[in-house]
Amino acid sequence: MNLTKVFTKTAITTPERQQEADADLVVVRQVQAGDVAAFDRLIVKYRERVFGVVYNLTANREDASDLTQDTFIKAFQAINRFQGNCSFFTWLYKIAVNTTLGHLRKNRLRSFFSLEKLNEDGTNTEVLEQLTDKRGADRDTYLRELQEKLNEALQKLSIPHRTVITLFEIDGLSHSEIAEVVGCSEGTVRSRLHYAKQFLQGELGKYLRT
Amino acid sequence: MPSADPKSKVSIEDLLRLKRAERPGPEFWANFERELHQKQLTALVKKRRWWHDMPVLLGRRLYLPAGAAAVVAFTFVAVRYTATAPMAEIPNTASRIATADPAIETLAPTVVGSLAIESTQPKQQHQDPVAVASTPAPAVEVRDTAELMPAILAAREVETPSARSIAANLQRLEQSEPELVNSVMGSRLSTPARVQTVASVESDMERSAVSDSGKKYRLIARYADRALSPEPSAPANVRDRIARRLGDDLGEGISRIGVVGSRVSLKF
Repeated sequence: MNLTKVFTKTAITTPERQQEADADLVVVRQVQAGDVAAFDRLIVKYRERVFGVVYNLTANREDASDLTQDTFIKAFQAINRFQGNCSFFTWLYKIAVNTTLGHLRKNRLRSFFSLEKLNEDGTNTEVLEQLTDKRGADRDTYLRELQEKLNEALQKLSIPHRTVITLFEIDGLSHSEIAEVVGCSEGTVRSRLHYAKQFLQGELGKYLRT
Repeated sequence: MPSADPKSKVSIEDLLRLKRAERPGPEFWANFERELHQKQLTALVKKRRWWHDMPVLLGRRLYLPAGAAAVVAFTFVAVRYTATAPMAEIPNTASRIATADPAIETLAPTVVGSLAIESTQPKQQHQDPVAVASTPAPAVEVRDTAELMPAILAAREVETPSARSIAANLQRLEQSEPELVNSVMGSRLSTPARVQTVASVESDMERSAVSDSGKKYRLIARYADRALSPEPSAPANVRDRIARRLGDDLGEGISRIGVVGSRVSLKF
């Protein structure tokens, strides 16, 4: 099958993404053919990214876990309807975002944080060094405070703005991919992104150095 | 607190990238995988609702025939229930006539009918109480005031042959023997009196029919029960004449005839 033709509708920006999409499509075809165990490979591959999106939208560890599981179950139930018009990860992100937005709308008034511990191993140490010159307990306290302020500021954003800035800045999706996941135009994505950054700069100005 | 080193720059993008470091540990993923498999099994066992398959049906381009069928069905239902909607029936809230005495119900049509005849032919009919009492009239089932008046008016136009013959006989009798008729009928119910009484009863009837049908029926019942010929108080010459006639008719079989007051005694 010529996979290039399949993805003509989707703007896949990088060759890495294209290769990833091709590999995913092969696995999806296996699952559609009846190899249910092949879906576990997709789960292992995307669970952290899906969890990251949901977690940054909800700012709640337990909710993010449940919603990520729901996302994979929905994807498994609807895998036969996936026709390959877009990449699998975009399709999976769309399910995750819609599931999370539905949860947030249902529980609009219920908001409390349960944050993951900051894993410094996977973080750019330069940023951390720039953020703080403290050592030991003071540094941990400062990072914890920064983490809470950052989450508070994100939660003050509206759901569409939060979604866009999460997908762009944290998950690294392109404007076109975000537009496809969210279901709006790229111009709307850029507009929301600009507004969200301005808002966060106002909220976190204490921690910014320009 | 942030350092005041002017050389180091921290942007909002740098802060947001810190969020990437918020990742759960390996033990979280072990638990996650176990829960996910449980949920998958539950989802497989759980019966899916019919509306969950609607996107599949729509995806198979069944929306055109399904939509057309829905429109046709809606139109059919709408036309059926709007075109043949029954007109609102207003229940008759008029008070029903409570008939206390069943005799009233049987007497009422006759009296109504006779009153109607008398009102149409006052000079002829009002002279005959028998005709008044025995004129057959159509049975009118009177339900309320609104239905009563047309029934009365219709009954007034009815004149039966028997009523006519009875009235003619009475008229002949009055002409030949007015005293006898007066004595039998009583002075109070002589022709003008009877005309007046019937007229008053009729006017009472109409008034009460308009105002209260129950009252009207009570009046009719009283009128029907009232004896048209009260206790005859025949004069002495009439009594003698009756005794003489009886004596002539009965002949020799009767040895003695005596009239005392209102009683006639015969001895054979």
